[in-house]
Formats: sequence, structure tokens, C-alpha cells
Amino acid sequence: MIEFFGDLARWFADNWDGTAGYLNRTWEHVQVSGLAVVVASAIGVPLGAWLGHTGKGGLAVVSVVNIGRALPSFGIVALALPITIRIADRVPFIDSGLGFLPTFIALLALALPPIFTNTFAGVRNVSRDTVEAARGMGVTERRILVDVELPIASPVVLAGIRTSAVQVVATATLGALVGYGGLGRYIIDGFAVQDDLQIVAGALLVAVLSVATELGFGALQRRIVPPPLRRGTSLRRRALRRLQPSARTPA
Amino acid sequence: MRNVFRSRVVGAALVSLALVAGACSSGDDATDGPTITVGSTNFGEQLILGEIYASVLEANGYSVERKFNLGTREVVNPALKSGEIDLLAEYTGTLLTFEGGTPSTDSDQTWSDLQNAIGDDGLVALAYSPAQDKNGFVVTAATAQELGLAAVSDLAQYNGQLVLGGPPECPDREFCLIGLQEVYGLDFAGFTPLDTGGPLTVAALEGGEIDVALLFTSDGVIAAKGFVLLEDDRNLQPAENIVPVTTEEIMDAYGEDLRDLLDEVSAAITTAELSELNKRYGLDAEDPEDLAREWLVSKGFIEE
Amino acid sequence: MILAQARDAFFRWDWVADHLDDIWEKTAEHLVLTGIALGVGLAVSLALSVVALRFRPSYGPITWVTGFLYTIPSLALFAFLVPITGFTVLTAEIGLVSYTLLILVRNIVAGIDGVDPAIVEAARGMGYRDRQLFLKIELPLAVPVIVAGLRIAAVTTIGLVTVTALIGQGGVGFFILRGLNRFFSTEIVLGTVLSVLLAVAADVALLLAERALTPWARRRAAL
Repeated sequence: MIEFFGDLARWFADNWDGTAGYLNRTWEHVQVSGLAVVVASAIGVPLGAWLGHTGKGGLAVVSVVNIGRALPSFGIVALALPITIRIADRVPFIDSGLGFLPTFIALLALALPPIFTNTFAGVRNVSRDTVEAARGMGVTERRILVDVELPIASPVVLAGIRTSAVQVVATATLGALVGYGGLGRYIIDGFAVQDDLQIVAGALLVAVLSVATELGFGALQRRIVPPPLRRGTSLRRRALRRLQPSARTPA
Repeated sequence: MRNVFRSRVVGAALVSLALVAGACSSGDDATDGPTITVGSTNFGEQLILGEIYASVLEANGYSVERKFNLGTREVVNPALKSGEIDLLAEYTGTLLTFEGGTPSTDSDQTWSDLQNAIGDDGLVALAYSPAQDKNGFVVTAATAQELGLAAVSDLAQYNGQLVLGGPPECPDREFCLIGLQEVYGLDFAGFTPLDTGGPLTVAALEGGEIDVALLFTSDGVIAAKGFVLLEDDRNLQPAENIVPVTTEEIMDAYGEDLRDLLDEVSAAITTAELSELNKRYGLDAEDPEDLAREWLVSKGFIEE
Repeated sequence: MILAQARDAFFRWDWVADHLDDIWEKTAEHLVLTGIALGVGLAVSLALSVVALRFRPSYGPITWVTGFLYTIPSLALFAFLVPITGFTVLTAEIGLVSYTLLILVRNIVAGIDGVDPAIVEAARGMGYRDRQLFLKIELPLAVPVIVAGLRIAAVTTIGLVTVTALIGQGGVGFFILRGLNRFFSTEIVLGTVLSVLLAVAADVALLLAERALTPWARRRAAL
């Protein structure tokens, strides 16, 4: 056991550099995960916010929640491959249908549901009184959404993005199955040659990255959420907690 | 209380169902003796070979279990030695190397060396097949023309410029990256881990993400895609005859009848036929079971 | 360069029609793997929850350990177990059960905690002893929250079973893996869609089961 930890420490000392080193692999991992979360947020937040504000599309949201959680990550990543290969064939400026593209598309599909549903729920649950008061004061619909509802909903929205990010980081390991690099490489390659050390090292790196993502968003939350909402009454805290962000799925 | 009780009952029912299902699958024991567990690694040809051997055994009354698609040799070899699987289609040269020996391009020599090497582990190599499947280094027709490539040694002129793609275990393999570096003095700009001679590797080669791909010489995709198989002019690849490897226990249990049956089947497989089956599996999406059955019927091992 | 495919259709219904018995077999396998994982997971989680409820300080460590298991990428966990327990259902189940623990323990504890203290008081007043109280009062009242956790656990387990294809099990993940190994998109689509359908069906089934197990909730709502 002790010997194993010694070997592990040595592995970390030896394998940091080069294309196959963990600094590069971590960067690859962060790249595809980060882009997926950013794009998913760019789509999910406006969409969820608008639907939440207008109050329409409740059924769509429920379906998205159910189906979103039911998507098997392995299936989605595998499915992305023939799709992106076909896209790469037909679209001239896309070089490769392997590696980054299918991983990104799959992660995007998996990142969207939590962000979308959380934003919808967060905006939807802003007290009607507050919204009415704003309307009474003559504030336009758009301004209500942007200046009133979104800030109030921000803890929930951010919780959704956070859940999504952590999930994406864990799932990005499967990118190794479609020709991408990332930390999943250590797990797949390690399994191929039965190198337990590599598997454990890879898993450890992903776990660390997951935790870092979780903590990073925690810090972000403290920055972005408006001060009056941070402290809040115990009632509000309980209410917000009840809007339990969809439990993240393991990778 | 009710939900606990109910879920426990449901759980117990499912477990019993699983156990019953497991017991039922052992099938008829026309030939008395232990069940032969046929294993395979994780690429198409292995699935087809595994099916061929498993089906012919079943047709002759042996009790057979299948454990296919297990992974690479590092995974499957221990399983064979520990008895988790009993029969595996292997390749003489690579297995001999894996067991610490030195193969050559002589099929007979390689095979007898292999028999000696694995004897200590309680394994038995049955007769080898004329069909061979070696590692093949492949480029697209366009690349071959552009760079004037016909043999592996031609790659040396482009040291540091080309990217090699292959299965993740290639850098650890003597007949893959290690051999290319030592025997041919090649130096690649990079190695991209993909899959075991499968669609990822093919797609990467076609798409230009890699310049040289590791595919298998019995893979019909090489001909189907018009790729160029570089000649192994320094004989890095040893003889790689297909050989079923089994355990002493199984041989003791069944003896010469089993050996004769399997030897007959092995003798009937040719590289050309195997390539055709591989192509139909990989490119035409036919099932290994159907392909194996059809081949066995055509050779008269099974009636239909 | 065009990747010419011998069978270009993205999804071939005829292939599906030809392989219905395989589909049935793999679906059954999938359900069995899921069922065992949920059954064992629930049992283990109940045990852990009882410990956590009796001895509060243990709740923290229990959630840390189950939470830690949760962050290990499933592929790594399965890959790591193979040399120890082989390519067996056991290996798959150890992994699958581990992923259910966090959500189930959390929900069971939250559910029991959430039972109205007034009811507990009344029951004690009526003479209920600890174990009876737990089994006959607290647990039944916690059913909605527990089933909510069970639903999430069921859906995620069904998704994870597909990953076990990489260690020789797989249920419908078998189709996904084989489709990936030879570029046959029909199989990949099939495996993915089946997994989603199974998950949605399990979700609905558990929801209905909850309704059946809590007739008092319906009665109260009807008043």
C-alpha cells in the first residue's frame, strides 16, 4: 500500500510535461469542459429566464428535467461521433470529426438541462409581489427580467451552472473514447494496459478538478450574488434550498 | 415499513431471477465435463474467431459460455491463466513475446517456442492456423504517392514530421511503436491513441489527423478504403498465426477429441477468408454470430 | 475526404427488426443489473441512515465517504475493480451500488428528519417504542422523500449501467459499445434511446409506486 503511494507520487513527479503529461491533459480537459459550460450557459440562461419570466413552457421544462437526467453519458458521447463525422465531411472549415468536436457536442447536450431548468425555476419563483411592484413602478418587461428577476434568481441560476460544470468535468473523461485527450486518457489507456497506477492517477486528477470546479463556483457565487440576497432570512434560504438544483449525475 | 419490505422483496426477486437466468444459460450437457468459457479481446476479428470456436464446440455437444469483448491482452491473459476463461484465439508471435520469448518469421519455430513458453503456466497451444494477422502500418494512397512510400523503412526520411495513430497500448508494444523506433530508427512527431484498428483509427487516417495508422493485415478495411500497407522490409513483425490457446484442465477433461475438432477448424481458416469476414463485420455491420455460423456451414462443420 | 460507409443510413429500422431478441435480452440484463444495484443500494443506505440517525456525528463522515465515491469517474472505478473482482456482475454492482449511496442516504435522513415532530410526540405518547416508531411511523411518512431519492438513483443507475459495457457487462450499453467499435450508428442510437426510455419508465413506475404506498397523501389532498 505504502509502496503504491510512493509509486503514485513518483508518477506525478515524472509525468507533468509533454503532450501526454498531466498539465496538458488537464488543460485539454478544462478546455472542452469550459467551452461546453459557457455555451450551455449562453443558451440555457436566456432561454430559461425568458420562459420563466413569461411563465410559459412549464411542460417543456418538466420534460427536459426528466430526459436530461436520463441521458446516458456514454451513449451521448458515442452518438456524437457519427454525427460530427458527418458534419466534418460536409462542412469545409471543420477539419476533424474526431476528438474535440464530438466531446464538446456531447458535453453541451449534457450541460444544458441543469442550467436551463434551474434558471427557469429561479426566475419563475421570484415573488410575484416583487414583480408586480416593479411593473407598477413602470419598469419595462425586459428590465424587470434583467434588473429584478435575474439578480434575485442568481443563486439558483449559479447553482445550476455549478452543478452542470461539475457534471461536465466528470463526464469529459469519456472523451477519450472518441479520440480526445483530456484526463480520461489516463483511465482508458491505463485500463488498456492494466496499469493501475495510471488509472488511479487519472481518477485522482479528475476528482481534484471536480472539487476545484465546485469550490471555484462557490467563490464565484459569493462575488456575483447581490449582497442583500446573500445573507437573507432563514425563510428565503429554506425556500431557495427547496429549489434543489437537479442532483448531478455521476459520469 | 411497507416500502422497505417491498423493495427488499423486489430486490430479492430480481436477484433470484438473475441467479435462475444464470443457471439456465448453461444449457444441455451432451458432453459431460466442465463448461468451456470462450473469451476474446476487444476487436472485431476476435469476436468472430471467438464465435467460430464457441459455435463449433456447441454444435458438437460441448457446454460453452462466452465472455467476449473483455479488453486487451493485459486483461485477457491473466483471465486465461486464472481460469476465468478457458479458450482464447491468440497470435503466435505476439503471445510468445508477451510470455518473454523471441519469435521469428518462421511459423513452426515460433509456435513450438510458444508451446514451451506457456507450458509452465498450465496453458496449451493447439495447432496453429495458416491464417495470420500481423500489425500493419498503413497510409492513405494519396500520402503514399506524395511521399513515395512503399515500405516502412521509407518513413525514416520523414523523421520528426509524421504522426502515428493506433491503439492506446501501442507505445508499450514491441511490434508497434517500440519496434518502429528500435528496428527502423523511426521518430514520429507524435502518437495519437485511438482504437484497436477500428473506425476511429480509420477516420483519423482518412481525415488527416494522423499520417500513419496501425491496422491489422487481416482487416478488410485496408483494401476496401484503398489504403497502402507499407511493406515490413526489416521483418519487424514475426509470424502471427492464429492459434487457439486453452488450459490443461480442459485438455485433461476432454482430450484428443476436443483437440482434433479445434485443430480441424483452425486448419480451415485462411487469411483471405478472415479478411472478408472482418470487413463484413466492420463495414457492413453484420453480426459475428451470423458470420461465424455462415463460415462454419460453408466449411461443413455445421449443418444447415 | 468523404468517409464512405457501406450502409449510410443513420438509423436502420430493418436492423432493429432483425435483432429484437438481442434487444430483449440486453434490456432484461440492463433491468436486472439496475434492480440489484437499487435493491442492495437501498438496503445499505437504510443501514447507514439508521447509524447516522442514531449517532449524529457519523452523518458527516458518512456523507464524505459516499460523496467521495460519487466524484470518482465511473469508468475509473470499474477499471480499478476489474483486477480485483474480474469481469463479473459483482464488479459492475460494486460500482453501481456505490453511486446510489450518497443520494439515498441523504434522502432517507432528510425524510426521517422531516417528519412532523408533533406526530412523533403523539406516537410516543401512545406508547410506541423506538423501533416500532421508526418502522411504522417515521419511515412510512418519509416515503415521498425517500422515493424522490430512489427515482434519481434509478435514473442515474440506468445511465451508468451502459458504462459497464466496457467491462463486459453493459445491458443496452452493449449496443453502444459495439456500434462505436465499428461505426454503426444504428446500434449507438438504439442503445442510447433504450437507456433513456428505461430511465423514464423507471421514473414513472417509482412515482406510481409512491402514490400507491402513500394513500393518506391522496386522501388528504382530496379533502
